[in-house]
Amino acid sequence: MSAFFEALEQKFGAQIQAPSAEREDEIYVVVGDPDIRALAEYLRSEFEARLVTVFGEDRRSVERVFFNYYVFERKGDTRYLIVRASVRADHPEFPSLSAELPAVNWQEREIQDWFGLKAVGHPNPRKVALHDNWPDVHPLRKDFLLETVLPPFQGERHIYRPALGEGVFQVPVGPVHAGTIEPGHFNFAVAGEPILYLQLRMFYTHKGTEKLFEKLPIPKAVFLAESISGDSSFSHGTAFCQAIERAVQMEVPLRALIMRTILLELERICNHVADIGAIATDVGFVVANAHASRLKEMLVTLNENLTGNRLLRGMICVGGVRRGWNAVQLGLLRATVDAFAADFQDLVTLIDSSESTRDRLEQTGVLLPEKAKDLGIVGVAGRASGIDLDVRRDHPYAAYGRYSFRIPVYQVGDVNHRMQVRVDEVNESLGILRNAAEDSQHGEFRAQIPPIPPDRCAVSAVEGWRGEIIHWIRTGPNNHLERCKIKDPSLNNWPALVEAVQGNIIADFPVINKSFNLSYSGTDR
Amino acid sequence: MTGLIAKAGLQLVLVLLVAPLLGGIIKTLKARLQTRRGPNILQSYRDIFKLFRKGMVIPETASWIFSATPYVVFVTAALVGLMIPMTATDAPLSLFGGVLAVVYLLALGRFFLALGGLDAGSSFGGLGSSREMTLSAIAEPAMMLAIFTVALAASSTNLSEMAKVAVSQSWKFLAPSQMLAFAALFIVLIAETGRIPVDNPATHLELTMIHEAMILEYSGPYLALIEYGASIKQLVLMTLVVNTFFPFGLSSDWTVRGLGVGLLFYFTKMLLLACLIVLVETTNAKLRLFRVPELLMVSFIFGALALISTFLF
Repeated sequence: MSAFFEALEQKFGAQIQAPSAEREDEIYVVVGDPDIRALAEYLRSEFEARLVTVFGEDRRSVERVFFNYYVFERKGDTRYLIVRASVRADHPEFPSLSAELPAVNWQEREIQDWFGLKAVGHPNPRKVALHDNWPDVHPLRKDFLLETVLPPFQGERHIYRPALGEGVFQVPVGPVHAGTIEPGHFNFAVAGEPILYLQLRMFYTHKGTEKLFEKLPIPKAVFLAESISGDSSFSHGTAFCQAIERAVQMEVPLRALIMRTILLELERICNHVADIGAIATDVGFVVANAHASRLKEMLVTLNENLTGNRLLRGMICVGGVRRGWNAVQLGLLRATVDAFAADFQDLVTLIDSSESTRDRLEQTGVLLPEKAKDLGIVGVAGRASGIDLDVRRDHPYAAYGRYSFRIPVYQVGDVNHRMQVRVDEVNESLGILRNAAEDSQHGEFRAQIPPIPPDRCAVSAVEGWRGEIIHWIRTGPNNHLERCKIKDPSLNNWPALVEAVQGNIIADFPVINKSFNLSYSGTDR
Repeated sequence: MTGLIAKAGLQLVLVLLVAPLLGGIIKTLKARLQTRRGPNILQSYRDIFKLFRKGMVIPETASWIFSATPYVVFVTAALVGLMIPMTATDAPLSLFGGVLAVVYLLALGRFFLALGGLDAGSSFGGLGSSREMTLSAIAEPAMMLAIFTVALAASSTNLSEMAKVAVSQSWKFLAPSQMLAFAALFIVLIAETGRIPVDNPATHLELTMIHEAMILEYSGPYLALIEYGASIKQLVLMTLVVNTFFPFGLSSDWTVRGLGVGLLFYFTKMLLLACLIVLVETTNAKLRLFRVPELLMVSFIFGALALISTFLF
């Protein structure tokens, strides 16, 4: 790592202030009033670093500036490099990276909306996280009180780009949809059946979650973390608790780490098998969904037996997990895993042998690897399009270092391969579960939490079933947080949908959308 | 005259009573194959009853076409119900060339349905109408060809005449022309009743719908009329298939005994056809929309071959 800093110092000289490593795998580089563009480009070209996330922080009360954080990672390196760039309070502007890195398009605009810092040079600087009719407020600034009651919204609504041409129509869908899903607006420009262009509008369920974190005592904030995205409650809860544990540098008992691993994998296969069924439903092959639902029910029943909650809520806590398992529960886990494995194979065979289903899935909604790379796609969708990322391997956490598993990566990027990634991952997860169930289940499952000192920062990453979940925290006084940044994989992946649907027929949109199955709540926060 | 009215009244009651039941049976059979319990077999009646008592929301942009459509759809379907032999060989009504009137009355209903979808002014209705018209442009001639095959054998387009000839002769289902015509008509049946692999009647995804997209803006009694009309159309088409190709059990008169035997055979045949439809629906995924015309072309070719083979064999 020292060679790396020397290279950085040589190249950028005085701009680079002393690197600090609070923990071995988390390195902070502080830059003054920098050209972050050059630095990002250098990291990208010389070190093949990937920009994981960008976020802001209001530190005016202490350090008289805003900070923007750029989290980088490198293939084969378990450490995160976090570049902290200050943004002057009297000149609230920062250089935008979106033109070169479309992956941070929405994230930079979130900083604009939430902190009132202008992204200079952003190709599309319109509002994203707060809708156009919001008054001129910046909720994540410290001087915006959570209790503020805003006046009724009267500003102009969002204006979609018009689609012009003979026989070109715009089909608006949503934000209220049929079925029990969350709100999002899809504006299709179609020429007959084929889709020319899709405009997305998210953030209808923006709840100010990151602001809420600053108001809750840490033990209660765990429950908030669990509700960021309902289908990933255990992953988000784990990411949050890990961040606190890293900030106070505490050891979590091995038994708790193994239990977390088991529960994370149960959440993964539970959602994967439900998605496989849902994809089959969307092409009208309902029998497969009937079986998938039955399999999912096996798992949520097991979840309830293991944690008292079908969706694994209330199990995670800072320092470990809330309760241990006895021999009966472990026996149930092993038995369910075995029964599930056999039935899951039948389900896969059923879908494989249905040619009419495969015909619908193959070559539908193709996301090309180069597009996926540009957009910074993560998780299942990324791995189906050649993006070989998995936090479990790249930045091991919980007990993943103890088990071996394969990470499926395909280059095709169609609906079929997004489903295949899920099938492969379920099989790998079953292997992890079998090994973890035999692993040590003795000793403490929850460690005492030491007093939490203020002003500690920590980043934490979890591979949720959908992809990479990042939490970054700064602790505050009195067991509270100063700042909590949440990045759900859906935030990266929504723009991929725009690319994947182009040229497909509008009747295939639902199945393409389902193959990504992104979270509205996790995106909107 | 009274005889005619009695016959028409009797058949009308039969059509109106059985049509929703048939939909319920198909739903229940499908659910059982998916290891679900499914809705009660009488649920379709309850739905129609419920809709008739509800209020309506009519789009501001809608013209008289929007309001006329439910009546046209329902009346054409019911009329066709009187024109086909169900339990007895002679149907109560025979107008304007028999089977030709059947095909074009159904087409009239569909035409108004497509207009109603466009008239509501929503983008989904337009999508549904354009899809429906694309498909029916092939489905209709395929249906005509298949029916002409049978009409040629009977030397008449009058459905009652056709049924009488069919009953009197020894069963000729294995004749190539009959088999091909049956295959053609079965595919048309799947398409016209909006079933998998052509359309998915159970979906909530507006973007994939055909029939459902056209009626998305309808509510209350109008929706009830359209849904009722659609279920009658399904009954009529299924009846046409079973009684044209499997005419046994059709009684030659309207006596009580004849009707009883006729009903028994009729229900058995319809149940078997429903099972066949359910099997096709359960074992197949929906076709990609632009491949549906290919399926209908297959039906068209079957129909054409059936017609040619009547002259060859």
